[in-house]
Amino acid sequence: MSAEKSAKIYSGLGAAPGRASGRAYVIRNAEDVMAVPAGSILVMRILHPHLAPLLPRVAGLVVEEGAILQHATTLARECGIPAAVGIRDARSLFHDGDLLDVDGYTGEVVARYLD
Amino acid sequence: MMQPAAMSGQPYRRHIVGLPLQRSLFGQAARAATTIGLPGLTSEQEFPAQLDENGDLFLDRSQVAVLTEALRSWFTPETLEQMHATHATACHALVDATENAARVAASLESASARKLSENLANKMALVLAYGILSKFVPDLLLRALADAGDVEPPPFPEKSAGAELMQDTFGLYKACCALDYTPQRLHREWPRVSPKVFHLIREFCKRQTVFGPLAWDSPGYEDPDYVVRLLHSAFDDVDVEQVRRRLSFAKRPAVAASPAGMRTKVSALRRVLGFWLDFLERETWYVRRAFYVGMVPLLQQLAAGYLQKIPTLQPVDLLFLDIRELTTEINDPAMICKRRDRYMENTDYLSVRGVEPSRLITMMRNP
Repeated sequence: MSAEKSAKIYSGLGAAPGRASGRAYVIRNAEDVMAVPAGSILVMRILHPHLAPLLPRVAGLVVEEGAILQHATTLARECGIPAAVGIRDARSLFHDGDLLDVDGYTGEVVARYLD
Repeated sequence: MMQPAAMSGQPYRRHIVGLPLQRSLFGQAARAATTIGLPGLTSEQEFPAQLDENGDLFLDRSQVAVLTEALRSWFTPETLEQMHATHATACHALVDATENAARVAASLESASARKLSENLANKMALVLAYGILSKFVPDLLLRALADAGDVEPPPFPEKSAGAELMQDTFGLYKACCALDYTPQRLHREWPRVSPKVFHLIREFCKRQTVFGPLAWDSPGYEDPDYVVRLLHSAFDDVDVEQVRRRLSFAKRPAVAASPAGMRTKVSALRRVLGFWLDFLERETWYVRRAFYVGMVPLLQQLAAGYLQKIPTLQPVDLLFLDIRELTTEINDPAMICKRRDRYMENTDYLSVRGVEPSRLITMMRNP
């Protein structure tokens, strides 16, 4: 079993309450939405309503755009999916498979890096 | 047009729109915004957003600050009611114009089709202007509520547009499964599936044509291939009970009602903010729908008219005109080829937006 090597904390805004942990899955282009792993933490620039059907399979959301009131907020709240918004450059900071903890109350995202 | 200084520096968003026809609507949005009646937004130069030729969106943050300041001191129950009425009218007028275009397009002469295209484009541009304003107005309203002493949760919609789509998609998944088509099987065998399943998918596409990315050329729910692939991504190997739980949707927190008939600033702010929050979920819906349901039939009609003058012209060529050219005359057909070549060379854009070579022809089919 791999030991945790380091953790880094990123602060955003809590957009939908709750806490979730899982592996990051980064949406960079239209094709990426076609292979979202179940239980992942979705990392994206913004959550548009047309991606709503993907939400029931994900554990949490990390969104780059910063406003508390935006697309992601309403949808994530409705589905009870913890969401942190305003994590600038999240799609560069995180990579597919990174272990992330999302706190939808505080907007904090912890990335846990393993050996 | 935005001043050169505002266009310099990093774009707010890259590659958001690629087709010249859609890009030109953003230019019209600045003009349309001046009709909304907001303080600090009386000329095109004051509009805080602009697209460049690459489809990159630039946001003039100093102008956003000016607008924010002007709005903050402008909010009264009366001005908020006016803001709400103008916004709602713009949205409803676009829906009506879309329906009208869909209904009459096939019977129109070229001149009437041009006029209707212009009318529809103007209404799309106005809703786009609200889309740009939605980047900061809802937060401003929320702050104004806090400043006015309101401690209730924001007035989120009872059920958002995305939630309705989610439920309909889950219903499609269940209906396909009941016919022995799991997402995997559907994905593997599409389009060679049973007529019943084929019909289910097509009907779903017709219902949900309005959902998809901002860029019209990026595939969305009007495209059965997209829907089949999305069903696979959304429901392959999924815990169905978890999906059901999440589709039960959290109840919107109860909010104390204002005393009957009493129009306070807080109640006006909540009413306006509620509309913006619903609009946030539908801004792309309005305009994408107007394109696929209303504008595509008009473009087909216009293309048929142009064929007499330009025999080689295809309906997709009209996507490479700007709205002013579309509604006047095509004086230089060669320019269409140049723009199309430039569009096809922008591989970054095409890749990010998932635009395959055959996509433009697919998108111009009637939904």
